Order: sequence, then structure tokens, then C-alpha cells
Amino acid sequence: MNSFAKYISGMMGGIKSLLIGMRTSIRVFFRKKITEQYPENRATLYISERYRGRLVMPHDENNQHNCIACGLCQMACPNGTIKVTAGKQELEDGKTKRYLVKYEYDLGSCLFCQLCVNACPHDAIKFVNDFENAVFTRSKLLLQLNHEGSSCKK
Amino acid sequence: MNGFLDYYNFKPVAEWIHSSLCGVMPEGLALFLEGLVVAVVIILLYAILAIALIYMERKVCAFFQCRLGPMRVGKWGLLQVFADVFKILIKEIIKLKNSDHFLYELAPYLVILASILTFSCLPWHNGMGIIDFNIGIFFVLAVSSIEVVGILLAGWSSNSKYTLIGAMRSGAMMISYELSLGMAMLAMVALSGTMSISGIVESQADGWNIFKGHIPAWIAFIVYLIAGNAEANRGPFDLAEAEQELTAGYHTEYSGMHFGFFYLAEYLNLFIVSGIAATVFLGGWMPLHIAGLDAFNQVMDYIPGVVWFFGKAFLIVFLLMWIKWTFPRLRIDQILTLEWKYLIPICLFNLLLMVVLKVYGLVF
Amino acid sequence: MDIKDRILKLQPEATFEEQGDLIAVVAPGKFRALMEALRNEGDKMDYLREIMGLDNGTELGAVYYLESTATYEQIAVKTMTPDRENPMLPSVCDLWKTAEIKEREVYDFFGIRFLNNPDMRRIFLREDWKGYPLRKDYDMNSNPLNMENEVNADEGDEFVIDSYGSVEDLKNKIFDRNDFVVNIGPQHPSTHGVLRLRTSLEGEMVKKIDPVCGYIHRGIEKMAESMTYPQTLAMTDRLDYLSANQNRHALCMCIEKACGIEIPERAKYIRTIIDELQRIDSHLLYYSCLVMDMGGLTPFFYGFRDREMVLDILEDTTGGRLIQNYYVIGGVQADLHPEFQTKVKAFIKHLRGIIHEYHEIFTGNVIARERLIKVGMLSREDAISLGTTGGTGRASGWHNDVRKHHPYGMYDQVDFKEIVYDGCDSFDRYMVRMDEIMESMNIIEQLIDRIPEGDYKVKTKPIIKLPAGTYSASVETSRGEFMAIIVSDGGKSPVRLHFRSTGLPLVHALDTVCRGNKIADLIAIGGTLDYVIPDIDR
Repeated sequence: MNSFAKYISGMMGGIKSLLIGMRTSIRVFFRKKITEQYPENRATLYISERYRGRLVMPHDENNQHNCIACGLCQMACPNGTIKVTAGKQELEDGKTKRYLVKYEYDLGSCLFCQLCVNACPHDAIKFVNDFENAVFTRSKLLLQLNHEGSSCKK
Repeated sequence: MNGFLDYYNFKPVAEWIHSSLCGVMPEGLALFLEGLVVAVVIILLYAILAIALIYMERKVCAFFQCRLGPMRVGKWGLLQVFADVFKILIKEIIKLKNSDHFLYELAPYLVILASILTFSCLPWHNGMGIIDFNIGIFFVLAVSSIEVVGILLAGWSSNSKYTLIGAMRSGAMMISYELSLGMAMLAMVALSGTMSISGIVESQADGWNIFKGHIPAWIAFIVYLIAGNAEANRGPFDLAEAEQELTAGYHTEYSGMHFGFFYLAEYLNLFIVSGIAATVFLGGWMPLHIAGLDAFNQVMDYIPGVVWFFGKAFLIVFLLMWIKWTFPRLRIDQILTLEWKYLIPICLFNLLLMVVLKVYGLVF
Repeated sequence: MDIKDRILKLQPEATFEEQGDLIAVVAPGKFRALMEALRNEGDKMDYLREIMGLDNGTELGAVYYLESTATYEQIAVKTMTPDRENPMLPSVCDLWKTAEIKEREVYDFFGIRFLNNPDMRRIFLREDWKGYPLRKDYDMNSNPLNMENEVNADEGDEFVIDSYGSVEDLKNKIFDRNDFVVNIGPQHPSTHGVLRLRTSLEGEMVKKIDPVCGYIHRGIEKMAESMTYPQTLAMTDRLDYLSANQNRHALCMCIEKACGIEIPERAKYIRTIIDELQRIDSHLLYYSCLVMDMGGLTPFFYGFRDREMVLDILEDTTGGRLIQNYYVIGGVQADLHPEFQTKVKAFIKHLRGIIHEYHEIFTGNVIARERLIKVGMLSREDAISLGTTGGTGRASGWHNDVRKHHPYGMYDQVDFKEIVYDGCDSFDRYMVRMDEIMESMNIIEQLIDRIPEGDYKVKTKPIIKLPAGTYSASVETSRGEFMAIIVSDGGKSPVRLHFRSTGLPLVHALDTVCRGNKIADLIAIGGTLDYVIPDIDR
């Protein structure tokens, strides 16, 4: 008899637990949904400011940047993502000065580890939270960060 | 019995069509043409219902999961399923090198055949049952079990270990659950006193079976829902597919429309299970009647039977979806334990109870 | 008794290295006896934390990190063999089961054969790989890209010394011809990544599981040998991505310990809080994945819905969601986001209010309970012997929380419970995680209002060099003890950098836990053990 009582109470307990689960799920059914309708919600989309989407080199209105082509970022990069091409310039006092010719950045192999930004002594590069980086070919991921005809701020 | 029920009756229309056709051609040809038309209609209805059900499943499931579901193709994603069906139609049907070709290609047709045959038994509307004869319920149970043959063949002939395990699980489960499915129906047959589907519906003109048969009818209804859910291979009894364990179970190796057939059959089986439940327990196309309240019954009769039928069926479909999207899956031994240790004894007891109540006139 | 005296008493010829970790060095001939004594006598060193293979240029060998589960005393033992042609060491896999798979790893990378280990196959690399890549004399060009299919042998090698003193290769059968072997993975919905389990079945019953790893082996340890220390940090987030910050915490601590960098109090608070947030994140995902593995797709989204909030909070501060790159040597990358505290408090309030739904829909559910309770038993002895740390070990009654027993960060100053269950089954493994979510919230609540003002980072030298020696640090990640070991020669990049994988012992334990259970249980047990593949393969 005891085992029969156990059988019945086990069955009833089981049914009760199932009903509790169904109650929870139907409550969620009528709750507000959490789906975000990207890209329709682009205007209201919240992306953290610190989110590392892409490396950029900020230029001011005179098309000038902070990069002195020292190459520290290139050395800091664990993945060989950055290639700095520097030129040499003869100054009036006879010294030579490095200047930036081309700052190449391969978004496809970037680890987003921020070591390059940390290494930069002049805050010439930074990460921005622009996350829409998808392209159709890998070659489009090879970016040149310094603008055409830009120069270094003094 | 009353005006509107007869007004909506389809039988006179069908008879008129038949007699006018017989007037211009021999009866054999007329029957053939009628059969052809009905076949086309039923297959069209099958496809349309499948699309509706898939859309419904996706939306309902999404709402249970705090999501919105398909939203992109058409307003509210209404065209999503059409796009999917189109995609599945243009996909290549892959032939496996080491499979048993004949059985491999036969299996999806067996499954869809069983599904359509059962589908044709549903009482859509007053006088609109397609397959309707004196042992209708028996016929439904018989043809619905053809499906398990299809599933077993699909699993075995694909020559893959996953499909084989899935098919074996499914075979063990479906054959077991047919017992309690049949016995739950038998209890209702005992209550109605007939096996004919139209007879069962008509016997509920003064109240649905679930009210007439009170306690045993409720028990039978719950057992039927559990067993029907298992028959339809749906969660929490979907272990034949069990994508987390067997990737897709018995139809892992199918592609294109062959896979589509399994997919369609799965959704239609859901509807069929609900439709039979609506017929046997909730009065089929019969409006809600309460004995004695004639005015109320009259109002109910304004709503056509086909609306009643679909309303009831979709209500149960929603209930089954609710169950599926709430519970984790059972394990094979637990499924068999549930059947043999719980459902079968309950069914036997319930059948006895129903017969006793019926004999002593304790049902309404 | 001092551990040094104890070892000297057991093995008078042992010498000690004391730069960084205390390491006892013994010759291969005396090694086995010492290990047996350490394992079986006195305060039993019954937990083998890690075996690190080592090539110092002339000799090959291994370092064994041991711990006693009674006293939490730790010791490392090193043994080196000068034979580079045919290096052999005695196996300890009969003392600690976990050595079976860890010796395979050392064999794979260094070619050291362990005598009497029953299964000396490669583990991460292909079976036809040439050479041993972590040896210093390995030719990087010796294995061009191979597009052929890898054929897995059905036999494992066991090297024994026969009565004549020569080495004999016994072939041990892994699977018989008549076994019904199913490949679960590498592409499978429930292996949580590219793991392959060769599973032999008897009907629905699991007879044996042979895990095949290495499908996403990236050679992180090899890569690290040519990187500077800050660069190696970029790798840790890519091991166990659900414990990204905790992994990084271990490596940062290891480097800071070696360089003697004292990090500011504020950074310690931040690290502890972020670690705990990460634990909540991981355990919510654990819940989701376990439920989904068992076929319940709806609760899966509950976990993800709330995990999204943790990720948003972390993203605000760290700038990443999965790969966060937040901790740096000497502190953290950036200060906390101004709204961090309010958001964390709001999240904790939200989670405390909603977690009952998790339990209602799954924990209490009769189907879930039937499928988890008394399924997948892992006894305490096996858990310790297999080295299954973290929640898996704690569900078997093994008190192994690194936060409690070897505190780091702020853990010695907060009041928290070490969640231990002793049911040894899947359900307790699940409950440990669910309770740890509550406990993590508890820890965060204690710290969140007390974060001191000040620097979040100390200035470090532009080029970080570690003094010569062997250094290690371990943390409690979301799924067990994670250990970073650095062998330095004083240069700016490590000679050897090794990580203790939290998942490898768990995958190794699958065979023990799953035998005799059903396929469906295998999936559920895999879900409760909670391994993450990139951390296994490294």
C-alpha cells in the first residue's frame, strides 16, 4: 500500500511541477519581447563608447594627425596587424626626421587587444565603437588609417 | 433539429453535385471526377495548413522565448514560410552512396501517405467528412500507424548510425504509445456508442463528450494529449529527432523535398492529433451546446461548423506547442516507463470506469 | 613538517629550485619512488594539479604540481632526462588518473614516452605529425599543411620495460572490431564546440568514450614563446572564453608576482568584481546550454536574456563582450565606467527577482529531476584523482575552491560560502552552479560600494622582463582551477608558458562518468560537466 501511495504522490507531484513550469512559460509569453530589430533600430542602438570596433587615426580639420611614425604600435602588435611605412625628411638644422607615409591596418587579423593604443606615446590612434565592419572580400579589410595628403601635427 | 445547423449542412450540396454530374455522365466517371476534385482539395488544404502551422509554431515558440520570431519577409514575417517552402522545393535531393535506394526514397512517401490518409478522416464541417464510415476511429488508428514503418525504413535505409538509433527509438516509442492512444479513444467510443466519426460528432449535439463523460473523459483527454504528442514525435517526446543527441534523428540524411515531406508530416500530425482530439472530445464541428439553454444554443449555431472545428483544433495545437516549448526532453527509458507504468494502467482503469458509468447511466 | 624536509627525508638526493615556485628536482630513476611516497604517505598529495612538459635546451622533462586535498599544501616536482633521442619517464597514471591524459599531452608536444601509461597516442596533433613542436630544436617547416584525412588508430601504445630491460610496445585495443562506434562530434550540436567523442554503444548504453581533441588547437603555448609578456595576455581571453577575465587574472598575477609588481587596491577590487560578473555570465550560459542539451529550448533564452545584461555591463567597462582584454600587467586597462556601480546593482536586483523562474521551469520540473538525479555519478575519490576541479569537483564533495583555500584578489576579505554538494550526480553539479550565481552576487554586493578611490593601474616598465625562474599563479575560473605557469630565463619573452586547462580533466572524466549511462545522459552529463573546447585545445 505504501508503494502505491508513493506511486500516486509521485505522479501528482510530477504533474504539479509540470503545471508550475507551464505557468512560468505562459507568463513570459505575454511579457515584453527582448528582440532588438537591427538594423531598423540603428537610431536608438546603444553601443558602449569603449567598444573596440575598429582602429582609427583621428585627423583634425587641417588633415593633421599625431603620428610620428615611431613604429611602437607595430612592435606591440601580437599579430602583425599594423604596418607603418615611414619616410625620412631632412630638416634645416641638418637632422633627419621620420614622418608617416602610410599606416596600414589589417582589420581581418586584429585581435582588438589595445596594445597598440597603449604603446602609442602620442595618442595618435584609438579604437572607435563603429561595429559595422562586414565586407564581402578580405582585401577590403586592409585599411589605410592616415588620410591622403595628411601630415603630422607639430 | 434546428435551422442553422441544417442551413450550414454541406450534405445537400454534395448530393446535388453528384446527381447533376450523374445526369450528364455515367456514375463511375462522376465518382472518379469527384474523387479527383476532393483529392486535389485535400492536398491543397494539407499544404496550406502546413504553412499556417509552421508559421504559428515559429511565432508561438518565439513568444515563449522572449523573441519576436520571423519579422522580415512580409509584414510580421508572414511570407517567411512561403520563402522556406520555395527554398526546400529547389534544393537538390541527395542520393546516398551506400543507402538502400528503393527504401530510402520510399520512406518519406509512406510517412506522408499515412499523414494524408488520417488527415482525410477529419470532420471539417457538417456533412463534409471525406472518409467517413462505420469504423472510422479504427481506420484512423490503423492508417496512422503506417507512419512508423516510414520512419523505421528511413532510419534503417539511410545507412547511418544516428538515423538508425533515431528510428529505433521512434519505433519503440510510437508502437508503445499507440496502445494508450487507442484505449483513450476506446473510452470515448464507449461513451458515444459508435465508431463512426460523423456518428461521434452527432452524438455530441447535446453537449461535448468532455462534459458528458466528466471524470473519465477528462482522464482520457489528458492521456490522449500525452500519447498523441508522442505519436506526433513532438517535444517532450521528440527523442526520435533529438537534435541535441542525434543531430536530426531518423531524417538526418534526407535533403530537399524528401526532408520536406518529413517536416510537413510532422506539422500535419500535430494538427491531426489536435483535430481528432477536437472531434472525439470537443465535438468536432459541433457548436457548443448546453442542454436546456435553447437560446444560447441558437446563438452558437450561427457560427459555422468549420470555424468551430478549426478553432478547437488550433486551441489544442496551441496547448501542445505550449507543452513542447516548456519541457525538457524525456529519455527513452523514461518514455517507456511513463507509458507502461503510468498511462496503460490509467487507461485500463479509465476504460473500466467509463463502461461502468455508461452502464449505470451516470454520464450525461 | 616543512615540505622541504619531507621531500629530503623521502629522497635525500633531491635538490630545490627556489626562484619563483619551490620545485624539488629529482633524477628520473628516483622520481617514481618519490611520487609514490608523496601520494600515499602522511599528508597525501592526492591532487595532481598539472604536468608541464619542459625543454630547457639540453634536457627534456616535466614538472608536476601537486596539492593535498586535506591541508592544501602544494609542491612541485621536476624531473629531467638528458636523453633527447628516446626520452622516457615513468608514468604516474596509476597514482593519479588525470596523468593518463596529461602525459599524453606532454608526449604530444615533447615526445617524452611515459612507461606504463596504457595509451600513448598523440592527443592534440594529428597522428601522422612529424616531430614534437614544443621542443626547442623543432623545425617549424617540418609539417606543411596536410589536407589528407586523418585516420584514427584503434590501438593505443603502451611502452613497458620487459624482463630483459628493453622497451616493448604493447598495443592496447581502444575499440574492438565488433564495437558499435558512433562519432559524436566534431560537428555536433551538443559538444559545445569542436570536440569529437568516439563513443561505443551497446544499444542506447555507452560502453566507452574516447575523446579526440585538437580540432581547434592553435598552439597558443608555442606562440607565446615568441611573444613579449603583454602580448601573451592577448591569448588568455581566447582560451576559455567564458572565463576570459579570470584566465587573464591568472596570467597577470603570475607576471606581477615574478616582477614584484604590487597592484593598487582599486585594481584588486575591480578585478574581483569583474571576475564574479564573469562567473555569473558563465553560469547563466551553463544553465542555458544544459537546458538546451536536454531539449528544453525555452529556458535557454531565459539564461541568454539575462546574460546579455552582464555582457552589456562588462562591455561598458572593458570594451569587449567575449574577448575583453581588460586586465593588464599592473592593474586594469581603464577605470570603471561611471555608471558601472548603478548598473551592477540594478542587474543584481533584477536577477534576484527573476531567478525563481529558472527554478520553476527547470529545476523543479519532474522530467529534469528524473534525468539529472542519480545520473552520471562521479565519486569524490575519482573527482580528485581525475583532477576535475571547479563545480564538478565541488558537487562530489571535494572542497577545492581556489578562492577560499589560496585566496587572491579581494577574496580573503569578503564573506562567501564555498558551495559544496555531496550527491556526486548531475543534479548536484547543476545546483552548484546555480548556487554560485547567488554567491557571486553576494560577493559583488559586498564589494561594489567599497571600491576605494585611487589609481587603477601602476606604471610598468615599457619592456617587461621576468627574472629567471619558474612562476605560477592559479585562480578559480568559472569551471575550475586555471593555472598559468611561466618559465623564464630573464628575457622579455617566456621560455615556456603553460596553462592548466580546466576542461581537459573534465573531458577525460567523461569516460568514467558516462559508462553504463544512455546517449541522452551522455549529452546531459557533458552539459553538467561544463567544458569549453578552446580551453582544452589551447
